[in-house]
Amino acid sequence: MSPARRLGWLIPSREREFVLGDLEELYGHSPSRLAWEIVRASLALRFHRDPRLTSHVSPLTSKATVMDTLRSDLRFGLRQLAARPGFTALAVLTLALGIGASTAIFSVVNPILFESLPYPDPDRVVQVGEPGTDGTPSRTGYATFVDLQRMSTAFAALAVNSSWQPTLQDKGEPERLNGQRVTREFFSVFGVAPALGRDFTAEEHVRGQHRATILSHGLWQRRFGGDPSVVGRPVTFDGIQYLVVGVMPRTFENLISPSVQLWAPLAYEASLPWACRTCRHLAAHGRLKPGITPEAARRELDVISGRLVAEYPTQYAVAGMLVIPLQEILTRNVKPALLAVLGAVGFVLLIACANVSSLLLGRAMQREAEFAIRGALGARPGRVVRQLLTESVMLALVGGAAGVAIAWLGLEGLKAIAPPNLPRLGAIGIDLGVLGFTAGVSLLTGLLFGVVPAFATARPDLFTALRPGGRHTGSRSRKHARAVLVGGEVALAVMLLVGAGLMLRSLEKLLAVDPGFDSKHLLTMTVQTTGARYTEDQPVWAFWDRTLEAVRAVPGVERAAWTSQLPLGGNFDQYGVQIEGKLLSNPEDAASADRYSVTPDYVQTMGIPVKRGRSFTAQDDRGKPEVVLINETFARIGWGGEDPIGTKVQYGGRDRPWRTVVGIVGDVHHTGLDEESAPQIYIPEAQGHFADGGMDLAVRTRGDPAALAAAVQAAIRSVDPTQPILNVSTMEQLISGTARQRRFTFILFQVFAALALLLAAAGIYGVLAGNVTERTLEIGIRSALGASRSEVLGLVLRQGMALAAAGVVVGGVASLLLVRFLDRLLYGVRPQDPLTFAGVVVVLLAVAAAASWGPAWRATRVSPLEAIRGE
Amino acid sequence: MPSHLGEFEQLVLLALLRLGKEGYGVTVRTELLDYAGRDVSLGTVYKTLFRLEAKGMVVAHVGEPTPARGGRRKKHYVVNARGRTALQRSLAALRGLSRGLDLAPGAP
Repeated sequence: MSPARRLGWLIPSREREFVLGDLEELYGHSPSRLAWEIVRASLALRFHRDPRLTSHVSPLTSKATVMDTLRSDLRFGLRQLAARPGFTALAVLTLALGIGASTAIFSVVNPILFESLPYPDPDRVVQVGEPGTDGTPSRTGYATFVDLQRMSTAFAALAVNSSWQPTLQDKGEPERLNGQRVTREFFSVFGVAPALGRDFTAEEHVRGQHRATILSHGLWQRRFGGDPSVVGRPVTFDGIQYLVVGVMPRTFENLISPSVQLWAPLAYEASLPWACRTCRHLAAHGRLKPGITPEAARRELDVISGRLVAEYPTQYAVAGMLVIPLQEILTRNVKPALLAVLGAVGFVLLIACANVSSLLLGRAMQREAEFAIRGALGARPGRVVRQLLTESVMLALVGGAAGVAIAWLGLEGLKAIAPPNLPRLGAIGIDLGVLGFTAGVSLLTGLLFGVVPAFATARPDLFTALRPGGRHTGSRSRKHARAVLVGGEVALAVMLLVGAGLMLRSLEKLLAVDPGFDSKHLLTMTVQTTGARYTEDQPVWAFWDRTLEAVRAVPGVERAAWTSQLPLGGNFDQYGVQIEGKLLSNPEDAASADRYSVTPDYVQTMGIPVKRGRSFTAQDDRGKPEVVLINETFARIGWGGEDPIGTKVQYGGRDRPWRTVVGIVGDVHHTGLDEESAPQIYIPEAQGHFADGGMDLAVRTRGDPAALAAAVQAAIRSVDPTQPILNVSTMEQLISGTARQRRFTFILFQVFAALALLLAAAGIYGVLAGNVTERTLEIGIRSALGASRSEVLGLVLRQGMALAAAGVVVGGVASLLLVRFLDRLLYGVRPQDPLTFAGVVVVLLAVAAAASWGPAWRATRVSPLEAIRGE
Repeated sequence: MPSHLGEFEQLVLLALLRLGKEGYGVTVRTELLDYAGRDVSLGTVYKTLFRLEAKGMVVAHVGEPTPARGGRRKKHYVVNARGRTALQRSLAALRGLSRGLDLAPGAP
């Protein structure tokens, strides 16, 4: 080979042709002289600070300013990346997936866990209440609230609210809205005033003058077209006129109940029967005075509570009060899931880094000659490291930009599967904070995945690097580094797979739980009576009877019944129940039971088994002996070993009638499949103290329940077209809805685990493919010496499986240590579930084998002759 | 402000002017050796040509390949107006400064 061909690459490519041509013209007669002159010329040209050549030689120049070197580093890096589009695309894609997933998750988690609430001095906003069973403040009675407000000095504002579902009747369709009835200082608690109009006046908080309403920005825009003149105009809710006095600002987020669209004064008086101490249906929130901690406020309320309990011993079950920051209340239930998801996406990002790191190491081997010459020409290793880090940070930033696009696309999907109790859903989006996070993460990942290859490359051995045919032999330590990286990827993938596996098993276990009734072929909906026609009990009862007749007449309907609340429908209606002969001195100590006020066919319609006695019949009507059904849990807790049938119970207060227990039915899961059943009590709707204004309909159908939804709604409208129908859903949809939070975390873990598996497989493939290329000669010689194809295949496969096995062991041990963080997200499965772990090992080894197969097969195709000739 | 020329840059520009259309790496080097007695490497010539090109004093164009060069093309350099002006100014400065001076060894 002529020296010009062998050494020509030393000359900067841009001038190579002309310089080599001149050199050949001058020294073409003497190859050795020519070779020498080529080296001389290359040295002269590479030391030369010519603007057209700077990018080639910049790693050598030492006098340039920081900005100069950065600029030339950037230009050189860009050229390097553009020169190998395949490599660059692969690295950018990998990083974009990792950074994109992290960005999407961060944008969900950020407003909930890291940002403070969108109120002035958000730390001072607290929830107040009597201690609930789950450690959160529970609801309180109006009389208690009045006492707290009168005696406490810790609060700048203290208010209670109750939910309010008015039906708006104006020009358009009647629409049931979600609202809140609030006391005087409600908006001061959040430190937000109406943007338009005014807050309620003191007079409007007085009973009888309380027909005023404040609209949310959303409702104002949607129903009133954003017309400012709506303030001061009357609107009709449930046949009663209310005066619109204000509109809240667009930025006001009602975090305690995000679906609320309007407010009206609560306007209770102490004399009202539902303003009593035991009428615990009001949620209390306060704004602490500056400098008062929640703990100090709690101590003060404890003292007040102690006085109240002493004064009214039969009206409180326990003494004490809770004062907990609203932020803590909102995030309490979702925090474990969000932290787990955040951790999982961090793992994905690490895997992406390891993968790109490994890619860079592989490429560094190809660039050895370049770095060797730079070193020989005097470039300090630090200079080369800087150049390499610049390149990797550039990769990461491009990956980050692509990642923002991926996050933006993924965010819609995330919102669609978000659990219903996820607060601040509206605040989730890609904003400046999120972009800052992405930029930071990109920079960090660029340094993280770049640092190992940079230091492994900066000081190559000139001799081996330039030796003919030796250009692809990576150093031992570099190969080692690549193996460790890929092993680490496998280990991280194992952890994610274990998480995803455990969640899958939890979900399976949960959805396999028997809800206590037959959930198939069951259609449900809510109907709310509204308007002047239904202010008395009698017409309401008549409406329920007539609609039930109409629904039963729909073809395909087997049975139908009304109930005051449906299990798993998100309702909560509990009453303390006293048992005859077991009267408790403090009625507040009585067991709380879910109360279902139902029409006679309900138990049969739902398919709830009657365990003993009988269920209701049409004979259990108004004026007949009053009867109840109880569930098995109540029978066990309330009666011990005795027979409840024939005994009497009382609920809703001492003055209520005693009702005879006529039957025991099976337990029903009311709040969730993962929650134990509470005591439950069923009463015939016709024998209630009052007519329930809103009822849930349960319809047992012969075929697909969803197919009958329209016909059933038409049947209800045939009785009265003005009554709103809500929450139309099959029971199976309701059940799957209760598992939404688990499904959210599961889907994310599943996606991340799949991504991790893919990246780990790509990592294994990359390392083995590189190895096979490097070992072509060795494999060729082995074949020449008689190694069979299966032996060669085994050689490469073994290497891949060894990598995977090491990763599986490390990842398995790490998983055992980490799974306890998932404990709260699991149901019915131990974190150390052997089946899950075994499954993960099998999946990973199978994927590793698949990834190794390609390079292994290629190794068997190595022809001994070509391998040796290639050298 | 016009750039100043280094001594070697002046020599290369003069060589290019002498060569007319025939100025490229090899001929410039030969011209320097024959008329200035300077034996420099081709790399040094090119370094200077690049610098002059960057200063906008010479213009390069690519010529025809010849067998003697292994089929590679030549890169020709021609001095432009800016180069001529700079050279004129440099030589005028030399003349002005040296006028009336006796540069013979041993002169007072």
